[in-house]
Amino acid sequence: MSLLTVHRQADSCHLGLKGASATQWLATHGVIAPTAPNSWSGALPGPGEVEPLIVARLGASELFLQEAAGGHTLERLSQALRNSPTGVYPVLREDTALVLAGDGVHDVLAQVCNIDFGAMSPESRVIVMTLMIGVAVLVAPQVAADERYYRIWCDPSYGPYLGASLGAVVVDCGGVCTGVSA
Amino acid sequence: MHRLQELPGEWIDRSVALKFHFEGREYSGFAGDTISSALAATGLPYLGRSFKYHRPRSIFSFADHDSNLMFQVDGVPNVRGDVTPLREGMQVTAINTFGGLYNDKARILDRFSAFLPVGFYYKAFHSKRLFPRWERMFRRLTGLGTVTLSSPRALTPKRYGFCDVLVIGAGPSGICAAHEAVQAGARVVLVDEGLRAGGSLTAVDGEERRSMSALLQALVRSPRCDVRTATVASGYYADHWVALTDAQRMTKMRAKAVVFATGVIEQPAVFRNNDLPGVMMASGARRLVARYRVAPGRKIILLTGNVEGYEAAVELHAHGVPVAAIVDLRADSGDELAVQACTKLGVQIVKAHVPVQAIRGFDARVQALDIAPLQASGGVNRDATRRLDCDAVLMSVGWAAATQLLTQAGATTAFSPLLQQFLPDELPAGIFAAGRLNGVFDFNSRCADGRRAGGAAAAYCGYGESRLAPVARSTRVPSHPFAIVDHDSAKNFVDFDEDLQVKDLQHAVQEGFDSSELMKRYSTVGMGPSQGKHSAMNALRVLSRERGMSIGQLGLTTARPLYHPVPLKILAGRSFSVERRTPVDAQHAALGAVWMPAGNWRRPEYYAVGGATRLQSIAAEVSTVRHRVGLIDVGTLGKIEIYGPQAGEFLDRVYAGSFSTMRIGMTRYGLMLDEAGVIIDDGVVARLSSEMYYFTTTTGGSATVFRELLRLNALWGLDCQLVNVTGHRAAFNFAGPACRAILQTLTDIDLSEAAFPFLANRVGQIGGVESRFLRVGFVGELGYEIHVPAGGAVAVWNALYAAGVAHGLRVFGVEAQRLLRLEKGHLIVGQDTDGLTDPFEANAQWAVNMGKPFFVGQRSLRILQRRGPRQMLVGLEFADSARMAKESHLLIEQGDIAGRITSIARSAVLNKVIALALVTPQRAAASSDVQVRIEGGEMLTARIVPTPFYDPKNQRQRVEGA
Repeated sequence: MSLLTVHRQADSCHLGLKGASATQWLATHGVIAPTAPNSWSGALPGPGEVEPLIVARLGASELFLQEAAGGHTLERLSQALRNSPTGVYPVLREDTALVLAGDGVHDVLAQVCNIDFGAMSPESRVIVMTLMIGVAVLVAPQVAADERYYRIWCDPSYGPYLGASLGAVVVDCGGVCTGVSA
Repeated sequence: MHRLQELPGEWIDRSVALKFHFEGREYSGFAGDTISSALAATGLPYLGRSFKYHRPRSIFSFADHDSNLMFQVDGVPNVRGDVTPLREGMQVTAINTFGGLYNDKARILDRFSAFLPVGFYYKAFHSKRLFPRWERMFRRLTGLGTVTLSSPRALTPKRYGFCDVLVIGAGPSGICAAHEAVQAGARVVLVDEGLRAGGSLTAVDGEERRSMSALLQALVRSPRCDVRTATVASGYYADHWVALTDAQRMTKMRAKAVVFATGVIEQPAVFRNNDLPGVMMASGARRLVARYRVAPGRKIILLTGNVEGYEAAVELHAHGVPVAAIVDLRADSGDELAVQACTKLGVQIVKAHVPVQAIRGFDARVQALDIAPLQASGGVNRDATRRLDCDAVLMSVGWAAATQLLTQAGATTAFSPLLQQFLPDELPAGIFAAGRLNGVFDFNSRCADGRRAGGAAAAYCGYGESRLAPVARSTRVPSHPFAIVDHDSAKNFVDFDEDLQVKDLQHAVQEGFDSSELMKRYSTVGMGPSQGKHSAMNALRVLSRERGMSIGQLGLTTARPLYHPVPLKILAGRSFSVERRTPVDAQHAALGAVWMPAGNWRRPEYYAVGGATRLQSIAAEVSTVRHRVGLIDVGTLGKIEIYGPQAGEFLDRVYAGSFSTMRIGMTRYGLMLDEAGVIIDDGVVARLSSEMYYFTTTTGGSATVFRELLRLNALWGLDCQLVNVTGHRAAFNFAGPACRAILQTLTDIDLSEAAFPFLANRVGQIGGVESRFLRVGFVGELGYEIHVPAGGAVAVWNALYAAGVAHGLRVFGVEAQRLLRLEKGHLIVGQDTDGLTDPFEANAQWAVNMGKPFFVGQRSLRILQRRGPRQMLVGLEFADSARMAKESHLLIEQGDIAGRITSIARSAVLNKVIALALVTPQRAAASSDVQVRIEGGEMLTARIVPTPFYDPKNQRQRVEGA
């Protein structure tokens, strides 16, 4: 049994890339993007990096990267982008990042989203672009120690609303929220 | 009605007595009772009043559509008594009464029914003079339960659900369908509106009941099946999306396949006084007796036109409720075994007779039934009418297929003259029908049909194969073709929700409302809370007779969601309301922001400081911008980036101006049109590099504009990429005479007029945050829009605020900004333009380059140029500044509308009231006085003047060395 929680991950960094050469450019910098659209992968940490990096492919030529606090990959990539590589366009991503986890997580999701997350295999590493209570979100089902949890990203201007609304549902379902107001 | 002795299998628990109040008096029922069954057991003569004539009514169908037995329960209106479980301490009152159920003053309306013909309210409203009087009267008299605004808010969280096969209806066919689908491996949800599964099965015991119980238990135990009772499938939407409503919530069930086992709904016979308390459906009586052990009467007449009537008599006898007589509408029933069974029980059988009228007793309940023999010609020999004493009349004359949900799913139906029932005809992919809905009536066939449909639905979802053969439809006739008896004194009701009689429908046809759809709308048949479940078929039969057309030719009316009334609280759910906030929302709150919605953003309307009023605060904010420096959060503007070799060409196509030739480091106003040449958005376009532009849209238009740009980009296939950074980037406008000097202390960019002229853009830093500076002037003063990543917004805002406060800075809100831009005559798209305004009408032709090869709306603009303007946007100054017109007040010329005000405000700096208005071209051309009509019809004089009102030469935006 684990407590149902929604948590705002305030210390993660994000980067977006667009353009026909984005995947190749990323590879030249040691970051391998998944090949299948709407999927994510965890890249190998670079020297001195201990935190995981998530690389999500949102379309044929659009990528989204998140790195937890302490990582340096995104900083390195951002520096490299200042050289304006051909066919690679940086996309400002200041997303609000939430993590929904614990017992009853699917009960919460069923109240806010028209996607059957319970039927998805986290091993498939899909990234779902959908609407959650009226907000466009990216959702990555993940698993750790046999427990499902969900990373959710949205435009930061919707962050307070989405966080508070999810928090209210979580609290109703017996959970707690951290970093968001229910 | 009275309670019977205990019987195994009854649904009530006699060990738990529940006290409740009805109409102020205390009564007692049992756990497991519904409100209606508990009330019926008390022996009260009637339990509700009809909607229009306030006639006494009691239990009629007992099938979740007894619209005359809805109650006010503990403050909640329109609670359905036939399906709502009784609770201890319930406070129940009848609805739609004036003075209580048994002293209802409005019952006098029954005597004036002749003056309330069909469509009388439509006709009443024809008189303009009497309209208010009628309106007041109708509002007072009509309506059902009372909405109490003081009721506590009940949150009813909606949820989504998912399954392979959804089976609607847990009667024998539905249970078998669900079982077959589960056996095949599908995830199944089985729903039924009844409090328990089992559908029409009401027998005390027997093989049918046992076999169904076994299957049901297997389903309940199965991890792949979810059995939901007291759950109504209330609407079908696209892609097998079905709204399931229970007492707590709505579940939006997404299924891969749907089996409709919705069954049939018993239909009443139509004869005079067929609504008297004590007259009810035989199926309702069976449920009432078997489940709640309430007998409908002590001397019962059963009126029938099918074999089910005889079966009902036998079953009621087994339950200890003898039927005195059966009146069969048919001369030859063809059901001799059933007839013999009833004869053996001592039931008097009267064949080939029709009910002429029910006789009302002193207590308003039925006390007798007049019947008359049918003649060979088909007529009724009223001279041979005879009276049968009784205290209950049960009707078993036919059924209507519950096709409403099925047709919502896109299925077509065809009328079967043999079965006298609409049957499924063509079914869309993933939709299956089974059971009595499908024209299969005997028990074993219904089970077989359910298994076939369930197996086919599972196979459709990829589980197993569809291997079972179709089941033959019934050959026996379950429904009488015309159980409707005319009567000179009427009161032979077709629709019990709306008190519609046969003559009402006849009159509707005579007045030309002679199709099923027109008749429904004019007479309101089927438009009450039961949604035609007991009236639609009989109304069709009346129409069929009047028109001389077959029922199949006339067809059913269109069934639309919701199929069954759903409480508004269920639809409201949690009432999520999307709201966007900028990164400096907390800073606004700390500064005293008074919020207003702008699109789906929350923005400061103004800042309440030091006890100042709203108008004082706004005036002070405006004054500060004009004389010192102001700071406003404009992060709600849409913000889009476009990259690529053809980015400039793309902008040339989507905006009316030219951008591919714009120099790097400059900005330009952009006007976006639709294909008709109408202004749909505007903003500022900044060129940041040879292949990159950054541009803004209006606050409300950002999402739709971006979506349209993505569509156009996909259509044109240009080599460029669009990115919407609206929420990811914050933006502030730092404006006023002192802004340059203050800003220069915060940034490394050279802000001098020579280095950073009006309409230029630069990229630099404020407090270590990389920022984009656009030198634009929406408020008409020297100013800079500063666009920064959302993560750096608070730091930049705080730096600007801190640096500015020493120079008298005030933050300003949306209202001050609106006034400032009005003084400059700048339009707001959507406020100063309407859905037809083109750039010529808005005096914005300067932003249009008609010489370009192409832009969206260009072709239309050429036509509009030739045609001339329909209206013009002009400036107005008011002579009398003591009284104010408002936005949308009309300009009047010789009694006609000559225009309307789009923006208006009192300008302190100009010391007058100024406005923008859309006026007729003739008016715009003449620089003269116009009349504006304000509240109360008073007229104000205004003069048309050129804009800008303030700083007409735009000198304040280009000031040197400030």
